[in-house]
Amino acid sequence: MLEIIEALLSSTLEYFPALLFAALGATLSERSGVVNVGVEGMMRAGAFCAAVAAITFPTPVGVLVGMLAGAGMAAIHGYLCIRWRSDQVVSGMAINLVALAGGTYLLESLYGPNGTPPIHQLTRWHLPGLSEVPLLRVLSGHSALTWLALVLPFAFHGLLYRTPLGLRLRAVGEKPHAVATLGLSVTGLRWLAVLGSGMLAGLGGATLSTAVLDRFEQHTPAGLGFMALAAMVFGRWTPLGAFLAALFFAFGGALRIGLASSAPGLLEVVPQGFLLALPYVLTLAVLAFQGQRTHAPAALGTPYEQESR
Amino acid sequence: MGERLRAVLPSVFSVFLALAVCWVFIALTRDAETATGAYLQMLRGGLGDWAQYFESERLTVLTRPLGEAAIKAALLLLTGLSVTVAFKVGLFNIGAQGQMLVGALAAAVAGAQLQLPAVLHIPVAILAACVTGGLWALIAAGLKLARGVHEVISTIMLNWVAVSLVDNWLSVGPLRAGAGTHLSITGTAEIATSAQLPRLLGEMSRLHLGFPLALAVALAIWVWLSRLRSGFETRAVGLGSEAARAAGIPVVRRTAQAMGLAGALAGMAGAVLVLGTEYRYPGGLGAPYGFDGIAISLIGGNHPLGVALSALFFGALRAGGTRMQLLGVHKSYPELIQGLALLFVAGRLVWLALLRPRKVAPVVPTRQPETSPEVPRA
Repeated sequence: MLEIIEALLSSTLEYFPALLFAALGATLSERSGVVNVGVEGMMRAGAFCAAVAAITFPTPVGVLVGMLAGAGMAAIHGYLCIRWRSDQVVSGMAINLVALAGGTYLLESLYGPNGTPPIHQLTRWHLPGLSEVPLLRVLSGHSALTWLALVLPFAFHGLLYRTPLGLRLRAVGEKPHAVATLGLSVTGLRWLAVLGSGMLAGLGGATLSTAVLDRFEQHTPAGLGFMALAAMVFGRWTPLGAFLAALFFAFGGALRIGLASSAPGLLEVVPQGFLLALPYVLTLAVLAFQGQRTHAPAALGTPYEQESR
Repeated sequence: MGERLRAVLPSVFSVFLALAVCWVFIALTRDAETATGAYLQMLRGGLGDWAQYFESERLTVLTRPLGEAAIKAALLLLTGLSVTVAFKVGLFNIGAQGQMLVGALAAAVAGAQLQLPAVLHIPVAILAACVTGGLWALIAAGLKLARGVHEVISTIMLNWVAVSLVDNWLSVGPLRAGAGTHLSITGTAEIATSAQLPRLLGEMSRLHLGFPLALAVALAIWVWLSRLRSGFETRAVGLGSEAARAAGIPVVRRTAQAMGLAGALAGMAGAVLVLGTEYRYPGGLGAPYGFDGIAISLIGGNHPLGVALSALFFGALRAGGTRMQLLGVHKSYPELIQGLALLFVAGRLVWLALLRPRKVAPVVPTRQPETSPEVPRA
């Protein structure tokens, strides 16, 4: 029994960093008032560029390149939405479509349909002290990104709720005109959030191709970006909420994969589709029950115009 | 510049810019010759191989590609209209993908399980798809109206619920062809011949009834939105629901109706896919048609006739994508062109700023107004 739980937890820790980084990215952007449904596309760009860079450079450099690629996609989003006040959902969906088709074209013309050549995965940290302790030993044997994913939500929480910058970032998503009257730049703060969001989404993608797998595959990230949006909503647009949601969704995924391989009989009773649908159904249920008392930032999706009220 | 031109020009320029950028993209990653060759192949695959026609006089070199283009265009048009109708009432329907998925499944089940003459079977199967897609969309509308849940979030979630339940449970489990046996077939059972949409040109092309059907639906939506009272009321709700409410328009009913219609249109796209070419639910839609609908609708300016034009154009490009394979360019390349065009359309205001006529410089140099005294910062 203990072994089963350990296997489940270990596989949860394997899958949740990518989801968490993307969910934190989405949270950052949306807290500043810019809708980011382009997370999926930014992840794809990050995953592809990280895998390509890691062929020639050391893998950590590849991860950084992936983050920059995500930020690059976010820069397009920011230019359209912040500079030109475009519809944020349209811009995000366009980024998804471009990343989907563009990634396929680049992959096929550079490396063929099966994915990029394998790269060195990020080093897995085996902690000698931990590997003897029951339960805690699941923490051993993961890449540095898993540890980052366990720390980052708290750092992010501190940033958003304990620093002046965090207050400003939140304020710009609630009432941008109030921030402007303080003489602060609304567009500057939103740029910061959107670029940071792209970097985090890119990091999430890079996690998939450098830590979870050892290459970029054709379907990466296969809807994980949309699940990150669900985690953001489920976590009520807060870093710690996103953390718990990502952990919960990743556990659900690990449970499903574990059941499929170890107890296929049970999946006859509870079909896989139900388990797959669960994160989305739960998110819908949470939204339905919280009703009008929504947790979304007040100015979410509204382009900032100085003259408007 | 006229209002109409301001509405149309950004889309036209965006499409051309996307074509140009994508040409440069192939030219950079491969070479200019391949880029031009691939574009020519795309045109031949979408609009027919005219050079070969004049040489051999075989009509099929024209009808086959054009038929494929029409088949793709029909799907794009229906999902595009789905997004358009939702836009008109002020909702962003990202859920066309999920609505189309459940519609396709419903059409496949109705097509396979029922025994009816063709005159009844086809309408019944299409109706089943429309009702299922519409109900799926009404979940989002209900959450919006009753609980204030934003439709962008709820339709994204519903897309994935649909994918999970249909592709990972129904079509591989209870509704799989040969369920209960050990046959490993993916997808549902094949539909009856009476449910297949008739081919319009026989053996010369795969062109089927779905194409004229989609065009007729576009025309009907246009008439509804521009000429009928309920269509006017729908647009009024989209332009300002408070004003519409004040004018006595039943806002809740119009919103629910429009979203239901949007889902029905996406569901119909699923039916056209299943009854027209696939003849069963193949275990997945195979392409993000619902997301394409967003691109088609916005490039078409959210106007039913514009959407039809944009669907025809991209239908031709998409059908031509398969011919691009000959030069080693992936068949999904037209999707990149379409995605970029959407990105450029999203920057509508950039185009309008570029297109604005230059103002004549004022003759009298005006003095800068005195800078207002600094407001002390808190």
